[in-house]
Amino acid sequence: MSRSLPQMVADPADVSSRDGGGRLRLPATRGWRIKETPAAWLLITPVIILFGISVVYPLFDTLRLSFFDIKGLAPAKWVGFGNYVTLFNDATFRNTLLTTLIFTLGTTVISVSLGWALAMLCAFAPVHTTPFRGMMFVTFGISEAVSGYMWLNILRPDKAGLLNAIIGNFIPGFAHSWLGDPNTALWSLIFVASWSGVGLPLMLCFAAVQSIPRTVLEAAYMDGAKPTSIMRHIMMPLSLPGVRVAIFINLLGALRAFDIIYVMTGGGPVRATETVGYFMYRESMTQFKLGYGAAATVVLLVAVLVISIPAIIQRTAGAK
Amino acid sequence: MFNRSLRRRTVLAGVMLAALAGVSPSVLAQDISGDLVILQWQTGTDGQMWKDVEAKFMEMHPGVTIKEFQPAGGQGDARGGMRTALMGGEVVDIIINTWPAFRAELVNAGILRPIDDQWASFGWDDKLSQSWRDLGSIDGTTYGITYTYGDRSAIWYKTAQLEKAGVTPPKTWDEFIASFDKLKAAGYPAPVVIPAKYWAHTEWFETLLLRTAGVDVAAQLAAHQIPWTDPKVKAALMKYAEMLQAGCCAPAATMLAIEEPYPTLYTAEESNYMLFGMWTNAALKNDLKLEEGVDYSIFQFPALGMGFDDTSSVDTKELNVTTNGANPAAADAFLDYIVSPEASAIMAGYGYASPSSAADGSLLGPVQQIATGAVSSSKVQFVLGDLLPGDLVDEYRVQLQKFLQNPTEATVDEVLAAIEAKAATAY
Amino acid sequence: MIGRIHWWTVVLVGVIATIWVIPVLGIVVTSLRPPSEVALGWWRLDTFSITFDAWIRVWDEYPLAQAFWFTAMLAALATLGTMLLTPAAAYAFHFLNFPFRRLLLILIINAFVLPQQVVVIPLFTLWRDLKLIDNIAAVLIPYVGMSFAWSIFLVKNFLEDFPKELIEAAKIDGCGPLSTLRHIVLPNATSPIFAVGVLQFLWTWNALLLPMLYLRSMQPLPVLLTKVSGTYESNWDLRSVAAIVTTIVPLIVFVIFQRQFAAGSQTRTGAKE
Repeated sequence: MSRSLPQMVADPADVSSRDGGGRLRLPATRGWRIKETPAAWLLITPVIILFGISVVYPLFDTLRLSFFDIKGLAPAKWVGFGNYVTLFNDATFRNTLLTTLIFTLGTTVISVSLGWALAMLCAFAPVHTTPFRGMMFVTFGISEAVSGYMWLNILRPDKAGLLNAIIGNFIPGFAHSWLGDPNTALWSLIFVASWSGVGLPLMLCFAAVQSIPRTVLEAAYMDGAKPTSIMRHIMMPLSLPGVRVAIFINLLGALRAFDIIYVMTGGGPVRATETVGYFMYRESMTQFKLGYGAAATVVLLVAVLVISIPAIIQRTAGAK
Repeated sequence: MFNRSLRRRTVLAGVMLAALAGVSPSVLAQDISGDLVILQWQTGTDGQMWKDVEAKFMEMHPGVTIKEFQPAGGQGDARGGMRTALMGGEVVDIIINTWPAFRAELVNAGILRPIDDQWASFGWDDKLSQSWRDLGSIDGTTYGITYTYGDRSAIWYKTAQLEKAGVTPPKTWDEFIASFDKLKAAGYPAPVVIPAKYWAHTEWFETLLLRTAGVDVAAQLAAHQIPWTDPKVKAALMKYAEMLQAGCCAPAATMLAIEEPYPTLYTAEESNYMLFGMWTNAALKNDLKLEEGVDYSIFQFPALGMGFDDTSSVDTKELNVTTNGANPAAADAFLDYIVSPEASAIMAGYGYASPSSAADGSLLGPVQQIATGAVSSSKVQFVLGDLLPGDLVDEYRVQLQKFLQNPTEATVDEVLAAIEAKAATAY
Repeated sequence: MIGRIHWWTVVLVGVIATIWVIPVLGIVVTSLRPPSEVALGWWRLDTFSITFDAWIRVWDEYPLAQAFWFTAMLAALATLGTMLLTPAAAYAFHFLNFPFRRLLLILIINAFVLPQQVVVIPLFTLWRDLKLIDNIAAVLIPYVGMSFAWSIFLVKNFLEDFPKELIEAAKIDGCGPLSTLRHIVLPNATSPIFAVGVLQFLWTWNALLLPMLYLRSMQPLPVLLTKVSGTYESNWDLRSVAAIVTTIVPLIVFVIFQRQFAAGSQTRTGAKE
């Protein structure tokens, strides 16, 4: 999945919003803002220009290009919805939709549930597990490209691949070419993406559990509640906001994944690991079918927007 | 943008420029100076060879500074990154190219300058025969000057392994198939290594097509004058299936994960044969420190007895010059240099054969001499995959990956139908 | 946690965490042992020797040192750009009133959902037409421009809890909006600005897709890393060194500042408590 650190911190549905009501916020009255139009424009103009060039313009231009047939250096030709029609008749593209869905859901489910489970475990020994949490969180700080190389090294099909060496030891004959088999390549990528992504839900959920007031836990403990029931009835519900944030960030990151696929499989074997985000790159930047690639990007964009509706509503409402 | 008439004008301008420059090329050649930009996409040992070749040129022409431009991107096939660079407006003087289809693509985009006048004025006819010139031409106009060529129907092996298994390099297809059992008994689980992650699995099909149907059929297929569903094409793929069913190879999943075969064969010693280009020579010598002709050698593809055993698949690398390069005079001089004895000698040191008659063949190692001998006595056809349009070649490789997974007649039909469907839209 | 320590969870988490770092250990060991030894597995101890051969060779064979400084420069410039422009804009959006304020704000803070694939084609054609391909502006502009989507949100969120009284007092003292920003807001908003800087640094250091497409003659580390394998060979020892060099700086930054991310919005709530 694509590294989404910035979004993590800046996310609206942040864990802290749970105690949002705990402190009185300034009322958003119209009156108190200083009316200083010239100064304001002076301050935001550079932002508007840069943002316009790198976000607004590309957005509209991608949309515009998706209605043209552009191949290499040949002149652009208006084709209306032609690219979209071709796209949905293209078995390769339909397959990338499915691949994207599996990759996105797989990574999210595995990394979030594993991270959540680990956070619950750590909550029972918060001090003694600190170094271990650190070790798992650190993998989140390794870039996707580098993570990809690390795992290529582990998954190698020859004798130098650690995974096969271990499996081969216990179950002779079960050594496998994980990235070469179309049936396992995608799941290998999902596993690697989850490996590098698990640190985020782990830390978010752990932080949520840690901020449960001690008095609540002590009271429950005094009442004779078993650790398992404390976990089920107090920790798990109270860490849900963290889980929600982690799920959202994971979905966004997995949908836009590129680096890890580029480094590990190049979309292969037999296109088994080609997601929409990678298909778009291949069609537009190696085959130079810019219009066709743009149409695929628009499809990706629609998927992203659908997933983001709740977050967008929340942000918009909160933008005072 | 470049349309046809503009292209014609560009070509015309190029011809006129060349005519002007051609007044006295030998004088000009001494006057060249300035930067010369080469689009150079090879890395590792090949990249090092280019550094040496360029250094020698700069030594001979002190006024010229060569700058390499290295494209990024395009896993597995360098063309992706090269397209990104050229379409992105990168200006270079010389392009190193190994794909005839890519040359056609560049000509269509108006990027390449014809070199017919240089051919005459520099007198390259003395160094390269007409057939090499034809190889670099499109519709009678010459765009490429071939500086190296390689035998792509040569099978590499490690001498000690075959000796251990009591196998002599097989002469016929039947001997070849029969050797698998002996090799397996000697402890090599997959006698043939096929690196199928990107493209190298198509090599076997391509030589088999030549040996079962001849160079003409292969050329027709490349130009899509016969369909992929033609029985002759199917027959070649069925021969490939025969080899796979005879237990030549590791499971498909292993093949599909292998990018380069040397470790499997020469380090892990799990395999014995590989069908791979002549760059292997440089890799084995320089990276694995093996001795050419002693530790490893090659034999020509075994005979199938179907009347086409005098055929060979070959590749070439050529230089193209651009219409918009800033230093055409130096570019032309570099083309002249690349077929000179000096450049050929450097390349021979890295194990690459030059087609130039000015090259000293005795500088080549024993393996390279076997290969050049085989090519000179064969009817040759260019590597099929490199002749196909970019769109189609992707599909061709992916479909043959599918074939590897399940090499049955039903898959063969399915795979060829899929390639044909793509070919119908690709030309 | 109250009650006794549950040792079994410590052991379980410890085992999982150890498994977690094995791939990291893998490339470190691969980079330090001769290729002939690791051909059968980097973990094998049949013969064991340490060599810095790959660490020495890689600098000659690939422009790794140049790429390192180039990456550092790109990341530094992009970080600086974001750190300078974001607080100013966040301040304007929060404390000043001007036409289209809310519309612009909504537009900017919602852009964080956009995938980077959206900019690939339009900016490629734009840079091509403007002859900006291979100019560092081709990546710096999107690096900084795209960062506003989250950076402005982060800083503005912090400012929501900024004592309004301070601003009003400054106004009464005759401070204009710009000097209020400079003397009152900026000195008291270093923690979110710093957090923005760290995030932007990590993000730009690790970027692969945009520099791969828009830069030519100089390439940052992640792009170089994808090229560190011969055209036809795989060079695992050199690859490992390049991978470590690529990731070491952001990893150190990440480890040092992980508290910034660890608690999610610690930067924000920290100011509240």
